[in-house]
Amino acid sequence: MTRTTTTLTELARLGFADLGAAHEALAAMPDALAPTFALAADPDQALRLMGALRSTAPKAVDAVLRDAGATERLIRLLGASAGLATFLERHPECLAVFSEPLTAPAEPEVVGAALLAAVEGASGEAAWNALRTAYRAELVRLAAWDLEQPDGAQVVDRVAAGLADLAGAALDAALALARRSTRFPPEEAAATPLAIIGMGKSGARELNYLSDVDVIFVTDGGDREVEIATALAREAMRAIAELAVEPPLWEVDANLRPEGKDGALVRTLESHLAYYERWAKSWEFQALLKARPLAGDLELGERYVQGVAPLVWSSASRENFVESVQGMRERVTAHIPPDEVDIQLKLGPGGLRDVEFTIQLLQLVHGQADPAVRQRSTLDALLALAENGYIGRVEASGFARDYRFLRLLEHRIQLSRMRRTHLMPREEGQLRVLARASGLATTADGIVEEWQKVKHEVRTLHERLFYRPLLSAVAALPDDGYALTSAQAEARLAAIGFRDPRGALHHIAALTSGVSRRAQIQRNLLPVMLQWFSEGADPDGGLLAFRRLSDDLGEAYWFLRMLRDSSGAARRLTEVLSGSKFVGVLLERIPESVVWLETDGELAPRSPALLLEEAAATVARHWDDQAAAAVALRTARRREVLRLALGAILGVITVEELGRGLSDITTALLTGVLALVHRYGDGIEFGIVAMGRYGGAELGFGSDADVMYVYRAAGVDDDEAQRRAEHIVHELARLTEDLRLPLDLDLGLRPEGKNGAIVRSLDSYRAYYARWSLTWEAQALLRARGVVGDPQVLEAFEQLADEIRYPVEISPADVREVRRIKARVESERLPQGADPARHLKLGRGSLSDVEWFVQLLQLQHGASVPGLQTTSTLSALAAAVAAKLVPAEDAEKLRAAWLIASRARSAMTLWSAKTTDVLPTDRQQLEGVARLLEYPPGSASRLEEDYLRTTRLARQVFEKRFYGDG
Amino acid sequence: MDKQRDFVLRTIEERSVKFVRLWFTDVVGTLKSVALAPAEVEGAFNEGVGFDGSAIEGLTRTNEADVLAHPDPSTFQILPWRGEIDPTARMFCDITTPDGQPAVADPRNVLKRALAAAADRGFTFYTHPEIEFYLLKSSKVENGVPVPVDSAGYFDNVPGGTANDFRRRSVRMLEDLGISVEFSHHEAGPGQNEIDLRYADALTTADNIMTFRTVVKEVAIEQGVYATFMPKPLTAHPGSGMHTHMSLFEGDTNAFFDASGQYQLSTIGKQFVAGLLRHAPEITAVTNQFVNSYKRLWGGDEAPSYVTWGHNNRSALVRVPLYKPGKGQSARVEYRAIDSAANPYLSYALLLAAGLKGIENGYELPAEAEGDVWSMTPAERKALGYGSLPTSLDHALTLMEDSELVAETLGEQVFEYVLANKRREWAGYRAQVTPFELESNLEIL
Repeated sequence: MTRTTTTLTELARLGFADLGAAHEALAAMPDALAPTFALAADPDQALRLMGALRSTAPKAVDAVLRDAGATERLIRLLGASAGLATFLERHPECLAVFSEPLTAPAEPEVVGAALLAAVEGASGEAAWNALRTAYRAELVRLAAWDLEQPDGAQVVDRVAAGLADLAGAALDAALALARRSTRFPPEEAAATPLAIIGMGKSGARELNYLSDVDVIFVTDGGDREVEIATALAREAMRAIAELAVEPPLWEVDANLRPEGKDGALVRTLESHLAYYERWAKSWEFQALLKARPLAGDLELGERYVQGVAPLVWSSASRENFVESVQGMRERVTAHIPPDEVDIQLKLGPGGLRDVEFTIQLLQLVHGQADPAVRQRSTLDALLALAENGYIGRVEASGFARDYRFLRLLEHRIQLSRMRRTHLMPREEGQLRVLARASGLATTADGIVEEWQKVKHEVRTLHERLFYRPLLSAVAALPDDGYALTSAQAEARLAAIGFRDPRGALHHIAALTSGVSRRAQIQRNLLPVMLQWFSEGADPDGGLLAFRRLSDDLGEAYWFLRMLRDSSGAARRLTEVLSGSKFVGVLLERIPESVVWLETDGELAPRSPALLLEEAAATVARHWDDQAAAAVALRTARRREVLRLALGAILGVITVEELGRGLSDITTALLTGVLALVHRYGDGIEFGIVAMGRYGGAELGFGSDADVMYVYRAAGVDDDEAQRRAEHIVHELARLTEDLRLPLDLDLGLRPEGKNGAIVRSLDSYRAYYARWSLTWEAQALLRARGVVGDPQVLEAFEQLADEIRYPVEISPADVREVRRIKARVESERLPQGADPARHLKLGRGSLSDVEWFVQLLQLQHGASVPGLQTTSTLSALAAAVAAKLVPAEDAEKLRAAWLIASRARSAMTLWSAKTTDVLPTDRQQLEGVARLLEYPPGSASRLEEDYLRTTRLARQVFEKRFYGDG
Repeated sequence: MDKQRDFVLRTIEERSVKFVRLWFTDVVGTLKSVALAPAEVEGAFNEGVGFDGSAIEGLTRTNEADVLAHPDPSTFQILPWRGEIDPTARMFCDITTPDGQPAVADPRNVLKRALAAAADRGFTFYTHPEIEFYLLKSSKVENGVPVPVDSAGYFDNVPGGTANDFRRRSVRMLEDLGISVEFSHHEAGPGQNEIDLRYADALTTADNIMTFRTVVKEVAIEQGVYATFMPKPLTAHPGSGMHTHMSLFEGDTNAFFDASGQYQLSTIGKQFVAGLLRHAPEITAVTNQFVNSYKRLWGGDEAPSYVTWGHNNRSALVRVPLYKPGKGQSARVEYRAIDSAANPYLSYALLLAAGLKGIENGYELPAEAEGDVWSMTPAERKALGYGSLPTSLDHALTLMEDSELVAETLGEQVFEYVLANKRREWAGYRAQVTPFELESNLEIL
């Protein structure tokens, strides 16, 4: 006999990695064995383990090696499972398994009989060992069959079912042992019925190589039966899981029973049913979805399953179903240790849990009305959902493929060490072995790449399975092969948070029916958009606004292209529409602005120069048509306000940028409109002075624009000048009027307030302020900023203002007077019945407190501290800190209050498209406002608490430093 | 939870309960009750019972009227004083808004939040109150003063006296309600009684105090007398305090115990006491919430007017009692300012928060007070660094107003409500012309 030697090159080709060691080890092996190792996922491991096994049990191994088929099977197993190899080393007699020809996984009865035979006549720990050894021998047989299949993914379900049957058989055998060894009289024990119900994966007949087996124990009868059955159940669990020479098989987990760990281990059938009828939470029903008689008294088990079925399938109509679905989803994305995210096969985006969640949700929603989808196993459920038209066939088969792929990886990973793990290996060598073991790829990179593809597909499939079929309820989609009824679609919509599912369905119909290009594209797009809408604060409002927008834009090519090609823009669109009525209304007017959502740059505020340039161009273009020019200017304002609204919601701009941006837009409009009614040299000089928050460039959405008008005669007499100025003022009001997006030019801060003249000459202002140098009108000058009109008169006005607002010295009496006025207006201006703690403008520690505080400092120190000479509240506050007029810590409290009140005020306008000054008490509104302020969902109370705390602290500072001895 | 619900529904059936009262407490500490028919109880467990919260002091903002009461099945008890005719049971409730968030102004929720904050640091909080009260002939005054049922002194055994019957009956009823009573004796004032509730976690204790007050009032009615928890009903006699023993446990271990520490008090225990002392003045408006409370605090006797601690010092605000050797689990500290009319939920939340603050920031425990702090001169007290508790409700409110600790623990809305409500009380009190003024001023001015 000549010995063939194999070169190292050949070994490498066979798949060995450690060539020297392999060469040496092969030399000790029977001739011509080397090529067979190419079948092993890990030839090196297979060879090493073969050697070890041979030194332990040479005869048994050589018996296997005499048979080519048996040899192949053994080598495949050793190459894929070091875990089972250790078992074979303990029990070489089980190597006999390899010599028998392998058939498909045996019927449950056959496996059951084999395990029962193994424990026949044994008792005590010896019986446990016999049971476990027999179980593992069957496991080896199953694994060997599994590894021999050309396409592992195709048989994943058969293997999983085989594993579940094996677990059932083990429990049956364990129960038989328990009945034999119990302290109760044998005939009584024999007469006590005990059914073991499989839950979870064992119930669904889709068990893993190694996982806990979830069970529930059921008996029938009275207290005595419960007592005996409990003892039997405990003893059976010990046979499986208690320490013995042959290691335990797996955990028998009975915690899904009523009341979990605290509940009785065994209950009677009646007690179970009574419990579920009364108490079960939705998630318990979800577990019952997969209940199946697994072992013991199968007839009793069947009665149990029949008994709970109606309860399971009515759970979708329970009141808290929507919440529990959200709970389920949270569990899906539940906390995964950060260092595992990238290797998690089961949890995490695109993992097995995603697949199972999607399918169970669909089952719960539709299984109530349709028994056909009440399937236990994931793959059966998927098939049933597709066959009955709830999901598309193409998607279903894609989903099934992905599921098989992921399960196969999971099987191979668990088989390797016989450990319960769901983590992909990181190490390259292990990945390569995994690739070979699964047959899904040949290299480490290859398997990772395939896996990434599957993960990505699973993520998108949820949307395709759950949302896409919603469209079929309202539009004929002949090619998809599914058709939900509208009731079915409404159930799904309600389950994800639409408050008016019927209305939503109606909009979906309008958006997707017909043969137009638009309808076609929206049919593709809407499923994922529905999901995004459902995550917003107001899904119904968002969908409605989207429908209107889509109606307006019709077939506009760019709109459809953008939605189709830019998922970022589509996502942003759903976010702004479901979060802000204000935006919905404006977008309807200016639908083309949707295109900005594609680029952050478009959402940034336009520079003042650009805005003014546009206003000038508009005026020039419409030189002969005043009305048309005014319309164009107002339209430009709406457009720019919308831009800022989008930017603010999407977090592209800060609240400070927003304030400046809104002020600039107002200025541009006023500049344009003034140019329509006044030209330099027409007899007077005219100017518009921004006051209040406009003057400070701190406007928010829904703020009025406080202004004053000033003129100086330049060629006409005083009476004529006044008359002309008044005419300009009236024209300004008329031409800026916009019912869609009101611009309230508020003259309330002018001398003498509502009773004063609407416009004054420069001299008149001078005379007035000289006489009344310490009134609220004079104080209001602190925020006066000439913005529009003839520069000479504006400059003169600011000079005049400077003398008044930054007095060189202010007497203690004057300071006291300012404080007194503040104290008085505090109570007078607050609307009747308003809660001071919630009033954003005039309330406790809110805007007006901070502004008065800063203004008093400006009056006192403005002349000596140049930094205080600003119209901006926050800049002045910062300057006061720099000049050590206020401790930084106190200033920070004031600043925080000013910011939260400003932001809340803008957010309220954005949310409801109405301007109010009171923090809402309605929970839904608070929730919407909180979302706009970037709180996580469910933060209504937190926003409220934060607002109240921040303003209370500001008020403390205010009282101490403004009213105190400051 | 489910087991308890089962038990409740079963008991209702078995005992033919006719009414179930859902109990909750308003911000002031008054017990409120909603009655349910037995058939409604199951629904109440599942969905809560809606009611108009705007009718309840401080419970909701006026325009957010609807709230839900969720009964806590673990607190189910048959009320013994209803007898066998129309048996009535009660459960305490948690209050939520319609969207399921805890109502910010539910005092029980305030305490739960504080306990959860302690649990985050690994602590459970146990309390044990000694509740004093007076038994009077009726709620009417004679010659301007209430009339006690007897004039016995401390620990006197009054033969055949009302007090004995009264105590026996109350103790029995409390025990029927599952509330263990540790000890009962006659306090120093005529008609004054004290009943000690046994150690329990703070939430249970607070629930028990609410029950206890109801029981005592009910028994008094039964026996034709009147029971009052007013802090200081009689000028000449001691007021009614609710000295509360407190301890923190870490798992099964008493965190206050350290065999080697001074008085076997651990560092955590010392820091807890330091926290109590430092924050005592600002929480007093809650632990002593009535105008009348300050008559007790400054009424002399053994009232803890000064912020001190001591081992066996009966005038100290915080006392570290002696316990038997080998009984480390019973290590505790006693806070003596709180009175019998306090809202126990809010008070315990604040005491816990004050103590935890001491632990968190590692406060130093000041020196122990030796001797009778009352008999020292103000200069002596000042030299020794003994501060005092607020002297009036007004004073207490001013201190509370600036307290972040109180605002944070109570939540902004309860905080504001307590301040506003108590300022109103103070204003009403100040508006009175009292007999004292008339007696001392009228004749000479």
